[in-house]
Amino acid sequence: MTSTLIDTTIYAAISEAIQQEAKRILTDGQVSTIVGYAAARRKGSAQPMIITDAADADKLIFTPACVNDLVVYLTKAKKDIPKKGKIGIVVKGCDLKALTGLIGESQLKREELYLIGVPCAGVLASTFAPSQDLTEESIAPKCTECDAHLPTGCDFVPTETPLTPELEKKYAVEIARLEALTPAERWAYWKEQFSKCIKCYACRQVCPFCFCEQCLCDRNKPQMVETTPRPAGNTAWHIVRAMHLAGRCAGCAECERVCPMDIPLNLLNRKMAKELKELYDHEAGFEVLEKGPLTMFNEKDDQSFIK
Amino acid sequence: MHPAKQKHTFEPKIIAFVCTWCTYAGADLAGTSRMQYPSNVRVLKFPCTGRIDPVFILKAFQQGADGVLVSGCHPGDCHYIAGNFHARRRFAVFRKLLEFVGVDLNRLQFSWVSAAEGGKWVEVVTDLTEKVRNMGPMTEFKELATEEQWSGAINTPELKEAFNAI
Amino acid sequence: MQKYISQQNLNTLLDTLIASGTRVVAPRMNAGTPLYEPLTSSAEMVMDQLPRRSAKEAYFPVCEDIMTYEKEGQKVSISDIDPARFPETVLVGVRPCDACAIPVLDAVFSWDYKDEFFLERRRKTTIVGLACTIADDACFCTAVGLSPADTKGSDLFLTPLEGGGYACESYSDKGEALINNHNSLFNDPNSAASLPLAQPYMEKFDLKKVKAWLDEHFEDPSWDAIALRCVGCGACAFVCPACHCFDIVDEGTEKAGKRRKNWDACGFWKFTHHASGHNPRNQQPKRYRNRIMHKFKYYDDKFGQTLCTGCGRCIRVCPVGIDIAQIVEEISKKLE
Repeated sequence: MTSTLIDTTIYAAISEAIQQEAKRILTDGQVSTIVGYAAARRKGSAQPMIITDAADADKLIFTPACVNDLVVYLTKAKKDIPKKGKIGIVVKGCDLKALTGLIGESQLKREELYLIGVPCAGVLASTFAPSQDLTEESIAPKCTECDAHLPTGCDFVPTETPLTPELEKKYAVEIARLEALTPAERWAYWKEQFSKCIKCYACRQVCPFCFCEQCLCDRNKPQMVETTPRPAGNTAWHIVRAMHLAGRCAGCAECERVCPMDIPLNLLNRKMAKELKELYDHEAGFEVLEKGPLTMFNEKDDQSFIK
Repeated sequence: MHPAKQKHTFEPKIIAFVCTWCTYAGADLAGTSRMQYPSNVRVLKFPCTGRIDPVFILKAFQQGADGVLVSGCHPGDCHYIAGNFHARRRFAVFRKLLEFVGVDLNRLQFSWVSAAEGGKWVEVVTDLTEKVRNMGPMTEFKELATEEQWSGAINTPELKEAFNAI
Repeated sequence: MQKYISQQNLNTLLDTLIASGTRVVAPRMNAGTPLYEPLTSSAEMVMDQLPRRSAKEAYFPVCEDIMTYEKEGQKVSISDIDPARFPETVLVGVRPCDACAIPVLDAVFSWDYKDEFFLERRRKTTIVGLACTIADDACFCTAVGLSPADTKGSDLFLTPLEGGGYACESYSDKGEALINNHNSLFNDPNSAASLPLAQPYMEKFDLKKVKAWLDEHFEDPSWDAIALRCVGCGACAFVCPACHCFDIVDEGTEKAGKRRKNWDACGFWKFTHHASGHNPRNQQPKRYRNRIMHKFKYYDDKFGQTLCTGCGRCIRVCPVGIDIAQIVEEISKKLE
């Protein structure tokens, strides 16, 4: 039984538009560097690519395998990426939300960036080989809840419009399922998931918002979180990270994609986003905010849980 | 040996993170007024609830607390003006995270106790202690702490017993 | 010794071993991810997927205690871990890319210091290898001189046959002992042909040429192009059957605690961070360079072996698609 194909015919035209624009802005010196996607060796796969030469612009592509959130390369955590002059970057709607959040946190300056937005119908889930077609089954779970198929506020966006069928919102369904369980059942679920964790920190390293010079979990004076990859240390790590991302994470879901152990990390982040929406009507990534929801307060904030 | 004599009654360990200027003073008032309340609570003094990092609550549970109380000044009365407002938001969010991961929120209590409310301190502590006593020890984190990756596990029944005796 | 074992008898063998208290580790599904883990019954074993982590865990655990301490007043007592407590283990369904890494690791763990944590676990483990009939385009065992039916490292090796069951051959005393102890489950060799072997995609690398280039190009601008996009996680090192770096940490309270040996990775920024604050590998391309150097030069210099078996796991899990097979292929062509 074949799953319904998602229409990706526009992606070829988008690739061409990106190549032309990239060539133009590199040639006339508008940008010094462009961060985009290029084809990789494995069939159908793509990888991040950083180019400084207009001659390399033809290597840039956009396909369903362009899963990376390239915004992580702009943050101060990635010091080795050359950041002289204006930088061009290819962003999907989800990536743009992370970028918006970072501007709000004074980590990026809008005027130092040239944003190449891509109209996107979706990208592949990590559990599928890059050579697979994009279908309702193989599409990344984050794409089923996407509200940013056409990025706005960019310097250049190809004119194509993505066709995006209405799909079952995978995270919302799973969060509802977990919320309906008893605490003990939820504990058992997360214990099973966190037991697989090996503390490779791939989740942290790809996250645009994990830009701390020294992560809390790398400190041992004092040691708040065990570094050992035992279930206890793993649980503490993921709780701390989810709390540090609350109100900032906009759901690029890179953490979940890169986890070598398939831990559904974005569930934690989406749950936190849901709570922040309900408690303080906050949604990350739509506009540049001077203050995040946890760095401000309202006199009338909910305190029903406080005696 | 009579079975009744061998029974150990469970005494919950309650950790209270309190602010210096209101709740700690309120607890002190309860003491000087000779109010009786369960001695299960261990009080940790912070300048302000705004200083209390959610990771402290997590650490408390990991280190064996059966219940955790966080208490500070009433909104508007914070010695540092707005510390408790920030704490209010922070803990509203953190408790939802803990709940989602499977912690029973009946073990985690937040309160505003002013320097004059010795009686309220006694009430809050007693309520939480009795609630947690009825719930039993918090086994989730303790059990988690004994688990190893299968590859590091060795045949050690005695070590497990020793751990449970702590 | 050459024998035949049917699938059913293999299952019975595993269940018998489990019942006798032997730890049987084989690929099984854990919350949707295939991993080498202890089985509670042969029914759990999955034979058609490559486990996400390698089999090195059986002697090089993700994390293990190497010492415990307790303090009562002024008295401190320290206990060592007794290697006699490591469980007897049979590792089943080990792919050649995992099994071949084991003798390679033997070299470093019995070099200037005999690591009993590794060596005792090795002594207590019997390895039953399994030939591969499927490969994807990340597999490249053939490129590093191995094959989907390589028996190196296996005590007993299973080759799937047409019509079901496996041809099995023992390559060590341990393998022979396993057959002899369960004689009734093994039959005389079957004349059926073996199922077609997997055909990994890459051509054989000229590893001599690769090493020759690495010998001369420690400082080379191409390292930036190769690895600037590396994000510095430990995924590649952790899933690799041959990577073996570890970190020693003390964790506990004033009353009691443990000294632990945990996996570490040269990709982490802290890996070479000195207490003084100086970091000789202070840029990501330098850290990735170390990975390639260690695998294709340093280990050869020291032990005459390559520290890579072409399993392709690092390629599959890398968040940014760094493809070690492609990198090595390109290096091998640089000196032409």
